[in-house]
Amino acid sequence: MIRFVLRRVLAAIPIGLVVTLGVYALVFAMPGDPLRELAGDKPIPAAVLAAKRAQFHLDDPFIVQYLLSMKDILTGHFGTTFAGADIADQLRLRIPVTLKLTLLANAFQWTLGLFFGIYAGFKRNGWVDRSLLLTTLVLLAVPGLVAYFAAQYLFGVELKWFPVSGVLEGFPRSYLLPALVIGVLGFAGLARLLRTSIVETVNADFVKTARAKGLGEQRVLWRHILPNALLPVITFIGLDLAGMFGGAIITESIFNLPGLGQFMFQAIKLKEGGVVVLLSTLAFISFIVINLLVDVLYGVVDPRVRNV
Amino acid sequence: MLGLTLVLASCGDGKSSSGGSGSGSKSEVIAIAADPLEYINPLNENGSPGIQVAMAMFAPLVTTDPNTGKLQNVMADSVTPDKTSQTWTIKLKPGNTFQNGQAVTAKDYVDSWNMTAEGSNAWKNNGFFSKVDGYDALNPPTADGATPKPTAVKTLSGLKQVDNLTFTVKLKVPFSQFGLTLQYLGLAPLPEEVRKNPDAYKRKPIGNGPYKLAADWNAGDDIKLAKWDGYKASAAPEADSITYRFIPNADTAYNEFLAGNVDFTDVPSTKVKSFKTDAPDQWVTSVSSGANYLVFPAWDARYKNPKLRHAFSEAIDRKAFADLVGLSDPAKGLIAPDIDGYRDNACKYCDFDATKAKQLLQEAGGFSGVVNISYSTTSATGQIFAEAIGNMLRQNLGLQVKYTGKQGSEITELADSRKLDGLRFGGWGHDYPSIEDYLTPMFKSNGDANFAGYSNPALDAVLAKGDAEPDQEKAIKLYQQAEDIALEDMPLIPLYTKSNAYLHSAKIEPRVSKYVGVSALWATFK
Repeated sequence: MIRFVLRRVLAAIPIGLVVTLGVYALVFAMPGDPLRELAGDKPIPAAVLAAKRAQFHLDDPFIVQYLLSMKDILTGHFGTTFAGADIADQLRLRIPVTLKLTLLANAFQWTLGLFFGIYAGFKRNGWVDRSLLLTTLVLLAVPGLVAYFAAQYLFGVELKWFPVSGVLEGFPRSYLLPALVIGVLGFAGLARLLRTSIVETVNADFVKTARAKGLGEQRVLWRHILPNALLPVITFIGLDLAGMFGGAIITESIFNLPGLGQFMFQAIKLKEGGVVVLLSTLAFISFIVINLLVDVLYGVVDPRVRNV
Repeated sequence: MLGLTLVLASCGDGKSSSGGSGSGSKSEVIAIAADPLEYINPLNENGSPGIQVAMAMFAPLVTTDPNTGKLQNVMADSVTPDKTSQTWTIKLKPGNTFQNGQAVTAKDYVDSWNMTAEGSNAWKNNGFFSKVDGYDALNPPTADGATPKPTAVKTLSGLKQVDNLTFTVKLKVPFSQFGLTLQYLGLAPLPEEVRKNPDAYKRKPIGNGPYKLAADWNAGDDIKLAKWDGYKASAAPEADSITYRFIPNADTAYNEFLAGNVDFTDVPSTKVKSFKTDAPDQWVTSVSSGANYLVFPAWDARYKNPKLRHAFSEAIDRKAFADLVGLSDPAKGLIAPDIDGYRDNACKYCDFDATKAKQLLQEAGGFSGVVNISYSTTSATGQIFAEAIGNMLRQNLGLQVKYTGKQGSEITELADSRKLDGLRFGGWGHDYPSIEDYLTPMFKSNGDANFAGYSNPALDAVLAKGDAEPDQEKAIKLYQQAEDIALEDMPLIPLYTKSNAYLHSAKIEPRVSKYVGVSALWATFK
């Protein structure tokens, strides 16, 4: 087990380098001068420009800029953004916001997804199953942007059930509406996956064997079918959760939640390579860690893969 | 599950709908559609959100009277030029203090300005002082990639303290409009304790204006201000307390207004068609201080003939274009309509006339090749506007047109290096309300915002004469001559001037002035 974990962590290092280098290259290749983007149309005095360029290493070649950024990240000297914000402070403020939002959203998504997926899988072709298929199609077709603004207008502005935006009312009130919308828009995929997985498992040989042994229907469902049907779902949930440090860019912007998504958006807008790479590294690390957890969990649920 | 959470969430509601109002009797919440500020320091700030907040906490030397459009003193007692307009004497009113209780003196101004003028400090309003004698000594040229080093010289030779309340500014060359430039809030003084260690005061500014921080201000917080009773320089705004709330997404800020949580917000471009019905009787508009243009590339010989440029200008139906933009008026000259010296008949080639356009194009010898119009992909409307202009040129002049979408900053970079192909959009808003602040930046050879790369010695000479003319009326006449020259050469085509729209809650009435626009800070309460 320890060897397995170690091997995965070591394998992650070169992948991490390639990923961050790639992200940095993409930001570097974006057209336009970042300091100009910051200044808008106003002319910037040459001295100010030179000082900022030197401060953010903008005159150095690509690879030097990348290495300096990585050095800053690995030594914990995050520095400031172009606009003068202390990056370490920003992370301290923003990580909890993003965590609260994604965890709550995932809780909604999993609850809805598991509930409807299991129900539809066990009662195939019932009205729940059929309406789930229809709802899924509708939900998957609604663009997030439209749904977020519509929900904000309806539940925030008109009905006043939830705050319109911001985090002034704290957790969970400020996060409920965006998390609900993410959950409702996202549960459909999970429910469909679980339903299909259950349908496949129901016809598997070991289920027939269990029935042949004379086990009760409830025991077959909960002890034989479900654990096996959940395997692909764990992967799905893991991937979903791992993506959270990417931040929910659109949601955070519309509901004015000052999380990592907004930070990422600002940084990309201003071509702040250092910040983008820092956030990508964070996202990457969370991805590796959660994937590792998923793999370990897999072993727990499924003895067949335990000693891979 | 869904129903349950909705019910839970709706409990304990009730007063959040009026949550924006705060406690004081006259309080207002102003939404700013921008990322939260990281510091308040007017001298190191040239963005509109930062200046907007600083305006409540700091006071300028002089300001524009919203009713008459004339200059009036705030911190200054008098601002007097010498005979040539090259040396200016600024006398401060006695008895004004900073919010830490220290008197505001001439030394505070001189030292704050010197700090800003020193290039190695990299403060954003450094450029303002480039007109002052001795600027170059504080801003030596720096090699590419090197950090500017602190200079041995720490003071502008042109700045001299005369006594406790008087100082003089000697400019490099005569400049009759210098008095007007002093209303820029980016020239506000910092008290001595802040000057010693500006970084320590990033989030606890000590101003000399009508409001001070009401509570600690931490990263990401709203900015809460309370009236400071020590402010005596001029009449203060009415509000007892003001909260600036940062909502980067302008559509979200708009929804917060509709929910009754903020008292004042800008109308975002996506709501221009609907705001009057969304918030009836709760909106105001004003002409924005700026103008918008179509810019020719001075580096492309095909566009060189002024007759051809006039032909392009005559082929554009400005009325239709302004309607497309929304909340806009057709431009009739190169400067904004709220500026002293504006003439609504300045441009002779700005009324739509397809026949005349064709004739002018013929006289110019036609145009070879395809007209390229660059538009910014960062702007939601860039492509639509480009295609509207393109269609007018196609239909009225029979030209071939193509469109190129690029990031705004990339277009600027290409234009700066004189590699951009064809036309692009440009806009300019003044820093101080003077006709000069349109002509010098955009049309003087090597001007700060000379988008077109235009240069005409005759225009430069008239501008220099205007700069040296102490009589304002006569100076304006000279600047109008410069505008006429620019319109004959037409390095850029005037397109439209835009109005801005704002929403305000029923309890406040924002100040609306044809000279200085709409202000929530100066709102009156009902």
